Amino acid sequence: MEVTDESVWSALKTIPDPEFGINIVDMGLIYSVETTENNVHVIMTLTTENCPSGAWIYEGAKTALQSLEDVGEVQVDMVFDPPWTTDMLSDYGKAQLGFA
Amino acid sequence: MGLAMLWLVVAVGIMLIHPTILFQPHFSPQVVSLTHAWMLGFFATVACGAVYQLVPVALSTSLWNETFGWLHFWLHGLGVPGMVISFWFNRYDLVGWFGGIVIVGVILFSINAIRTVLGSKRRDVIAIGILIAAIWLLITVFAGLFLIANRLWGWVPLNPIALLRAHAHLGLIGFFLTLIQGVGFQLVPMFTMGQVKNWGPAKAGVWCTQIGLLILIPGLVMENTILEVIATTVIAVGLGFSAVGIKQAMKDRRKKRVDPGVVVFLRGCIGICVAAIVAIFLAIYGSTRADAFSGFNAMTYAILAIFGGLLPCVTGMMCKVVPFLTWMRAYGPWVGKRYTPPAHTMTNAKLELWGLGLQQFSALPMVVGAWIVGKYWLFAGIGMLTVGVILFLIDMARVLRHLWKPDTTPLVIPGAKANTN
Repeated sequence: MEVTDESVWSALKTIPDPEFGINIVDMGLIYSVETTENNVHVIMTLTTENCPSGAWIYEGAKTALQSLEDVGEVQVDMVFDPPWTTDMLSDYGKAQLGFA
Repeated sequence: MGLAMLWLVVAVGIMLIHPTILFQPHFSPQVVSLTHAWMLGFFATVACGAVYQLVPVALSTSLWNETFGWLHFWLHGLGVPGMVISFWFNRYDLVGWFGGIVIVGVILFSINAIRTVLGSKRRDVIAIGILIAAIWLLITVFAGLFLIANRLWGWVPLNPIALLRAHAHLGLIGFFLTLIQGVGFQLVPMFTMGQVKNWGPAKAGVWCTQIGLLILIPGLVMENTILEVIATTVIAVGLGFSAVGIKQAMKDRRKKRVDPGVVVFLRGCIGICVAAIVAIFLAIYGSTRADAFSGFNAMTYAILAIFGGLLPCVTGMMCKVVPFLTWMRAYGPWVGKRYTPPAHTMTNAKLELWGLGLQQFSALPMVVGAWIVGKYWLFAGIGMLTVGVILFLIDMARVLRHLWKPDTTPLVIPGAKANTN
């Protein structure tokens, strides 16, 4: 089975931010997804560098990707540049957090 | 947190069984016993537990010594009940022994907190606030031991009631208020997705409180009205600075809907500000030294500060912190492996709003009751407090249940090899 960008995004959507209850994709924490011959490379961030649950979110994202069928190498990089802003929230995320 | 909740039950239980304690002067043995049940039993246990759990996370470091933490827990658990019981029965010799046990625990706590803060790279108002609060707690407990020794052996010819007031303010302002003024700037932005753009008001708030306390202690010990008025004014100004800082952080928050716990914490901060203003008037009128059983005196001020300010601040933040810490332990390792509920869904908003609201507003009838010696007002206040605490404890029990009975719903990952649970 081929691992596609879509299947990676779907897997990442199952990982919630524990404080806000919104998945990390709608939170805008995933900066990019790249799949090459079933190898996955994800660049992600956190809402703040000192996010207390950051390590769990990072490990959870990796675990979810490694569970994909026929997946090859999984690389998840954590970056803080550019820093996360509320502009990165999806429309669903904005609605959940009470943004107008 | 479990020990703290047990103390909450004990402290409210004492008030329920002996409500008229609040008619007694603030230096009577039973009032002192009840005060220690609240301050050392409940508030200090929560605060120390939060320092152990949250400070390493907030300051991106690790706790300096976990063994010291556990030793402190057991010494605190042994010493504080002994102190509360000994105070109640007027056995100051035993208070000294149990107080000594508590002091050993606090020494371990303070060393641990200070070394943890120094081990981090942070030197902002949050780190400095924790550092100063740990030092004040140490000074407070030593002052308490001195007070007992002085009562037993009469070393220094000073009014023991004046010394008692100084000891109480060392703990209330030095430890609790400094901690709230510091840690508040970590917790409020953290739970509202806010940010502190200008640290000036936060710093000014903490430093004004320290200067005010340094003036207040000699003022209270020497029973000097001018020093007391200057000190209470400086502290109130400091609280004003902190309020401005928190208001700015709230204005810049990204999460528009504010959770009940944060709302109640902020209401508690307002309660503390009101108590600080009341303290200025108490100092001006010299009522701090009033020994009367009623009227505008230290008891009404203490009820306002503790139940109208400190209690909502602490229980409000517990409604945010306890679910979060529970989530970290019960669900953190399972992220990506099975369903993990969001931390805020572990609590019940209605239980929080009613529980915490009843707790805070119970201060009003209790103040009226203590002021006019009106027992029905007092009963109404204690009744509200009791119902509020029961609702709060039900809410917390629902959260802690996840530690023993976590949600084990499997996580369905589209395209996954098999259920990873």
